[in-house]
Amino acid sequence: MAHVNRKQYMVIFLVLFVLTILELAVVKMPAIGRTPMFIALIALAVSKAAFVGLYYMHLKHETRILKLTIAIPLCTPAVYALILIAEAAWRRLS
Amino acid sequence: MSEHAAAAHAHPDFVTPADWPEDPQYGKATLGKLGMWIFLLSDALSFAGLLLAYGILRGGSTHWHNPGEPELGIPFTAGLTFLLICSSVTMVLGYAAAVENKRKQATLFLGLTALGGVLFLCGQAHEYHGLSQEGLHFGASAYASTFYVITSFHGFHVFTGVTYLTIITIATALGKFDNGNYNRIEVAGLFWHFVDLIWILVFTFVYLVPTQK
Repeated sequence: MAHVNRKQYMVIFLVLFVLTILELAVVKMPAIGRTPMFIALIALAVSKAAFVGLYYMHLKHETRILKLTIAIPLCTPAVYALILIAEAAWRRLS
Repeated sequence: MSEHAAAAHAHPDFVTPADWPEDPQYGKATLGKLGMWIFLLSDALSFAGLLLAYGILRGGSTHWHNPGEPELGIPFTAGLTFLLICSSVTMVLGYAAAVENKRKQATLFLGLTALGGVLFLCGQAHEYHGLSQEGLHFGASAYASTFYVITSFHGFHVFTGVTYLTIITIATALGKFDNGNYNRIEVAGLFWHFVDLIWILVFTFVYLVPTQK
């Protein structure tokens, strides 16, 4: 059965809109430190991407093995990013 | 494999997603859908390579902007982000209409999705023009080069998506995807949502992460 839920599509649209506004609010926030801001921005971006993937690309309705087929390879660049960017920053600071 | 399943795999285009044989691991996901997901994974890793290069260059640099280089315009690009989100909504609404066998409505929404992509490209051209006049030139700094490479690679995807959606829209209008034969619309939708998804990440990493003061 195809998954069509117009109401849910519109709710997700609203969520994406609100999260985008939140991103702009985080950037404009004067007192926030660089690291908390960075973490907040990444959390917002990853949740937006997850909403698009799960609901608009219907991943939520796929089988567990298909979800894992897609999710596991996408984790590898995140690991690389963490290690390599930290290393580059460490070189700069040391 | 049953006779029905064998026939389905021999002629995937003539089997509607509802009639697609159930696979123990991948359920009712059609071959076209699995193929698109595999392509999108490889494409995601291409973007990951570019974003990693950007992150490493930026994380390792003591100053990111050369003197005289402009900041990126966040409010304008936030508008472009919103535009892509809107085009993702019209895409799912077009898909929903196709599933419900409403050809005219599906054509309308798919056309609007392609239009959203065209407007995005116009916005990007406007942005590039403005930035180059303000002194952001490809090759002048890591900041300028990574910006142009990453956003134009994404822009190329938008262009591809617009072309793809135009073909799909015409085929929809001609009735190729009537009566439950909406698989190719869903597969095109996967590509389009992926372009939106990548932009969400590009917008965050390239535009929103503030410059070290």
